[in-house]
Amino acid sequence: MNMLADTKKRAEMVFDKHKVLISLLLLAFLVLLPLISNKSYVMGVMCRILMYATLAGALNIINGYSGQTCLGVAGFFCFGAYTEAILATKVGLNFWLCIPLAGVITALVGLLVAWPTLKMSGIYLAIVTLGFSEIARLLALNATPLTGGALGIKNIPVPEFFGIVIKNSRSYYYLFLVLAIVFIFVSNRVIKSKIGRAWMSIREDELASKSLGVNASVYKAFNFMYGAFWIGVVGCVYAPYVRFIDSTYFTLDEGWNILSMVILGGQGTFIGPVIGSIIVNFLTEVLRPIGQWRLVAFALLIIIMMWYRPQGLAGATDSKLAGNKMVKKLQDRGKKHD
Amino acid sequence: MEYFLNQLINGLCQGAIYALMAIGYSVVVGVVGMVTFTHGEVMIMGAFASYYVFQYCGTNLILGFIVAFLASWVMGIFVYKVCYERFFNSPRHISLLCTIGFSMLVKNLAQIFFGPNQIPMLNIVDIKFFHIGAMQISSLQIMIIALVVGLALALNYVFYHTKFGVMLRSVSQDKTAAYMVGINVKRIAMLGNCVGCGLGGIAGLLICIYYQVVQATMGGALGMKAFSASVLGGLTDVRFSALGGLCIGIVENLGITVTSASYRDVFAFGFLILVLVFKPTGFVKKRGTKV
Repeated sequence: MNMLADTKKRAEMVFDKHKVLISLLLLAFLVLLPLISNKSYVMGVMCRILMYATLAGALNIINGYSGQTCLGVAGFFCFGAYTEAILATKVGLNFWLCIPLAGVITALVGLLVAWPTLKMSGIYLAIVTLGFSEIARLLALNATPLTGGALGIKNIPVPEFFGIVIKNSRSYYYLFLVLAIVFIFVSNRVIKSKIGRAWMSIREDELASKSLGVNASVYKAFNFMYGAFWIGVVGCVYAPYVRFIDSTYFTLDEGWNILSMVILGGQGTFIGPVIGSIIVNFLTEVLRPIGQWRLVAFALLIIIMMWYRPQGLAGATDSKLAGNKMVKKLQDRGKKHD
Repeated sequence: MEYFLNQLINGLCQGAIYALMAIGYSVVVGVVGMVTFTHGEVMIMGAFASYYVFQYCGTNLILGFIVAFLASWVMGIFVYKVCYERFFNSPRHISLLCTIGFSMLVKNLAQIFFGPNQIPMLNIVDIKFFHIGAMQISSLQIMIIALVVGLALALNYVFYHTKFGVMLRSVSQDKTAAYMVGINVKRIAMLGNCVGCGLGGIAGLLICIYYQVVQATMGGALGMKAFSASVLGGLTDVRFSALGGLCIGIVENLGITVTSASYRDVFAFGFLILVLVFKPTGFVKKRGTKV
């Protein structure tokens, strides 16, 4: 255990020293990856990994950074995807205009969902988002004139980028890559600003942060809207990627899938959801032959993770997310200073 | 008007089942002090257990209820050991996520072993219809309402007139104080959890008899209804959460008279959100235990 911690510390030091170099190398690798292996299977898996990494990252903004519990990620995903599909097929709006629009609409929906529960403890938000996820799916299934009902929406137009038609999985790989990089860059800036620090202080101790003048309700609402915005954006890119959407893509299981990425990978860090997405998607591919047992394995992994490492593999170890051991340690540290 | 009245009766009956779920849920939340997402799965396990008993040992209704209660009781022990026992002093979200993991586990195992499809429930009660004026009420509905009222009264007796009930209530009010006066808090919390789960199992069997199907994936929606109902009752107050269950059942059934039956769940959660906006503490006057 000690050796592991040492290795981790050393790795962190090396990373801090050569941050730019490592980032550039990683970027170059990701950009050149399609040249190494151009099989559409590999590209499809990579697309999914990048997409889910962004989704899990956006969920991590809510669950990991501000300590709220959002269980309805599939509902927001559904809203984003259907917004794009409806706007593109019925109104004929340009894909690039749809992206911010879908994000903003999803964020507003997020505000609507989170608003009634802001002043209450987190568990109410958890159940309301869970209910919302089911409501979103049921609306998509039953509001036939708008969403096509059980038949879904077919033939979603492919986007174009300065004359390049984005239709094979390689071009979508680049699209998702750009999306993930933009998401991580923007969110990193937000987390390091005053807003991000306010979110983290609410996570650690809402009462204390209130007493220091943080308007907890406003920051929590903004946090929820920010996360929902990115989930909506990913949904908007997902719709033309699959070309056909119906309500079966957005069941609660999809939400649990994304949640398990955040839990397994780690909450409260940027690398955590990425690792979670890689692990879960990799396991999904490997365990495909055993079908339903795959979800059993994920469930067991979640329970084991909660027992032994509640913050996840690469989660924030110095926070409340790491469970009672850490809370006790932080309290002891406080006592020493007294 | 006739249709409306009949829907009211249906709503009352369904509300009675939701009330039983919500009673179980609020016992769990009150005594353990942590919120659970496994309640729906626990209920369905009770229903499955008695389905197999009906299959192999004949349709003895009382035996079915006892088996459902015991099966869910045993599930309650598992839930307690996996999701609560280690986490009494941890931040709340950890046990919450653990219950989510456990409910995923149970749901998927149930889908593997019992199949993902709807299984028709055997005809246990021969349904006769009684007419009171324009209203029509079936013997099944009378049975359900009577059983729920009986169980609620029995629980009320246990809670307020026995030593065990005093212990349960003291643990739900303040764990440290209960510990200091010599109550084995962990044991009582486990027993309370099991009582809540057992009642949930009976409720699960009732709803499966009422719908005449049992399905492994039913649990999620039922668990959420139980939660909504107990939020209406202030989350930990047993009596008011029964009232909350009745309200949800009636609102749902009146709602689907106006639109189609596929919007059933939308009404339940829409009602929950409206209540949270206007009266977040539910029906109780004082603020419930902070969970």
